[in-house]
Amino acid sequence: MAGAAIAIAGLRYAWPGTHEAVLDLPALDIAASDQVFVQGASGCGKSTFLGLVAGVLVAGRGQVRVAGVDWAGLAPSERDARRAATLGVIFQQFNLLPYLSVVDNVLLPCRLSALRAGRCEGGMQAQARRLLARMGLPEPAWTRPAAQLSVGQQQRVAAARALIGGPDLVLADEPTSALDSDTRDRFMALLREQCTAVGSTLVFVSHDRRLAQGFDRVVDLPALNRVAPTAAEVA
Amino acid sequence: MLRKYFLLVGLSLLSWRAWAQVPATPGPVHPGSLQGRAQPGAAFRTIKWDALVPPNWNPMAEFKGVNFDLLDDGDPRAIAMLKKLREVWDSAPVHTAMVGQAVRIPGYIVPLEDSKEGMKEFLLVPYFGACIHSPPPPANQIIHVKPQQPARGMRSMDAVWISGVLEQDRIDTHMGVSGWTMAAQRVERYEEPQPGRR
Amino acid sequence: MTAWLRMAAASAWARRGTLVWVIVAIAIATALLLAIERLRHDVRASFLQAVSGTDLIVGARTGPVQLLLYSVFRVGGASNEVRLEALDEALRHRAVAWWVPLALGDSHRGYPVLGTTTGYFEHFRYGDRQPLALAQGRPFAGTLDGLYEATIGADVAARLGYAPGQKIVLAHGLPGQGSGPMAEHADKPFTVVGVLARTGTPVDRTVHVSLEAITAIHLDWMGGAPVPGFAIPAEAARKFDLAPKTVTAALVGLKSRSAVFMVQRQVQAYEGEPLMAVLPGVALDELWQAIAIVEQALLAVSALVALAGIAGLVAVVQAGLAERRRELAVLRAIGAGRRVMLGLLAAEGLWIASAGVAAGVLLALLAQTAAGPWLHANYGIALVGAAPWSGQALLLLAVWVAAMLAAIAPGWRACRMALADGLAPRA
Repeated sequence: MAGAAIAIAGLRYAWPGTHEAVLDLPALDIAASDQVFVQGASGCGKSTFLGLVAGVLVAGRGQVRVAGVDWAGLAPSERDARRAATLGVIFQQFNLLPYLSVVDNVLLPCRLSALRAGRCEGGMQAQARRLLARMGLPEPAWTRPAAQLSVGQQQRVAAARALIGGPDLVLADEPTSALDSDTRDRFMALLREQCTAVGSTLVFVSHDRRLAQGFDRVVDLPALNRVAPTAAEVA
Repeated sequence: MLRKYFLLVGLSLLSWRAWAQVPATPGPVHPGSLQGRAQPGAAFRTIKWDALVPPNWNPMAEFKGVNFDLLDDGDPRAIAMLKKLREVWDSAPVHTAMVGQAVRIPGYIVPLEDSKEGMKEFLLVPYFGACIHSPPPPANQIIHVKPQQPARGMRSMDAVWISGVLEQDRIDTHMGVSGWTMAAQRVERYEEPQPGRR
Repeated sequence: MTAWLRMAAASAWARRGTLVWVIVAIAIATALLLAIERLRHDVRASFLQAVSGTDLIVGARTGPVQLLLYSVFRVGGASNEVRLEALDEALRHRAVAWWVPLALGDSHRGYPVLGTTTGYFEHFRYGDRQPLALAQGRPFAGTLDGLYEATIGADVAARLGYAPGQKIVLAHGLPGQGSGPMAEHADKPFTVVGVLARTGTPVDRTVHVSLEAITAIHLDWMGGAPVPGFAIPAEAARKFDLAPKTVTAALVGLKSRSAVFMVQRQVQAYEGEPLMAVLPGVALDELWQAIAIVEQALLAVSALVALAGIAGLVAVVQAGLAERRRELAVLRAIGAGRRVMLGLLAAEGLWIASAGVAAGVLLALLAQTAAGPWLHANYGIALVGAAPWSGQALLLLAVWVAAMLAAIAPGWRACRMALADGLAPRA
């Protein structure tokens, strides 16, 4: 995976219906297979940033290229398809569908994208189980509904879901904020280890500078963003 | 009340004529079917009700010269005349030349046997309200119809076209009364012809 | 595909607490619609087959529908009796083939008693010109020896457990018209000599006796009550002149059906007694017209109930939207397109609608099985054995489609809201 995983140029984003830009990034390049820590407090535009990188929001001006393709050039259904095939996402909470089993949750991206399912060695079921094992989840838990797991376990399942099918890019938005310090450290290590193993680029967004240990690069979002945060921006 | 009867009698006579004027959609006419029995599969000839009446039958002949307006409803002469009229109507003969003809004729339904499959037997009369509001028609203006397929969705006093072969109801001849019967091949709803399509 | 259906099912199952009430509402609405449709259809069919081959019904001058109802369906009462002599004269016409007098006014344990002649068993037809048949025994003899004989209908025998040989006591007054031991003709018991085969008409719940027997049991009665101190024992009654003087109505059959108007006119014009002659087919149609309004009203009510059920569905789905929003945000983030999200909601709507309609059909079936025998015994309406859903596919489809749309509509809104959200699901 040579080339930039993310290439942002001349990005300006304003909420629909407003003229005030909330995000103004002249340039940002993230190399493939890098693990980048993006630091920013809540309210500095990091959720907008993530939305733009994931192709959920589309910039009015500028380019956001993920693995070489600009989101703006795609139709909405094409964006969804590409997101399913090339991205993995982990949120702070409410990652999983509570009524689905753990395995079914992990398999979701493969069900949405045939391309992704095709990249699973030995089939998506086998790959899911492997990932869950690597994340340290005991086998009996795999068939339980996701709602029955602890928060720490749920985050690890989310990580497995993000990594299945070897995506180009994994976005993590404050995934450890709801965890206690022990679980957090274990989770961080596990996440970084598996991203390396799979070869995905990792973009880890958090306000907590202390978590930046071990990352290849640290990006300070407020420093990059030429627009001052407004009261309307809520993370 | 008898007055009304007379008026209705007169009206009903007129209404025969009215049916005659109804612009019926003409059916195909085959010269061969005008005489003799209808061949199986012959097309139906659209007729009017007065075709069923022998040409020389005139029920009002006995009452020529009577001015009904001058008669009171309760006048015994009026009552007697009405009775005579009824007797004449009851023994009205059928026009034998029409027996065996394949015809298509419009009329109103008086249900006899109804079932959930449809109406299996009914009487066809020339005008609306026969037996309810108006005096009943003479014997040669009633057709006892037994459709070959039960007629669905028909109600009392519905206006329909029936198509089939006319037969004479051969019951006790000493009764002096016989009527028409038909095993109708088709029973269709009557539709008002569009204005201007005369 | 199946995975998505399973997902939708799992999602619905997780919220089953609230959804089950929606399903109940839809089920009740469906059952109501089905039951009313079936009742309409079967009541009509039942009524239509109650009398056949009878050209005229003659009785006192009331209304045609009333005459039909009490003479054929044993519902309601006659306003007046008619003299048998008058009937005889009025029906003297060359076109009359047969006529059978009917006398109503007594009952036996809630079932109407019909006084008639043996001609009834010979001439009465029902359904498609079906004659009456006997399951056991024979019709009453109609002679002086067999004075106190009764032939009962299939339902009377079945529900009261009667067989030939059973002794029964008749009571004065129509069924349900307040009787008691005082009203019973206890001194003149009858013997069941025959049971008629099932007809699916009001004949099944009638007790048939001879006209002479009716006269006999009322010999020592006057004005609806026994005359005190003037009892005539059963055997002694035979010595009296038991020829009936008045009856309630008569069924008439003609030699030619076209002659019906002539005979009708003669009866209506008869001067000795105020009589009325009615064509059963025409009277039935009049009955339907009167009932039609009630039918429409019932259908309208059912439709409104269905609407209420569906409104409930919409409310419940709306209420769950906050949670669905998170769900949808997660799906969106991992790349589910609009089509997938709508598909999931549609699938869920499918589950709910199908469950509701299926439950409704089951409910209707249960109701039919439970109410069928009661309706037949009390009103002579035979709920034809057909399944409640036959012929009502369109109705069911309409309810099903409406339920599906109701389920999807709020979800559509949720979709659009989710699309407007950013990447992370809102807390």
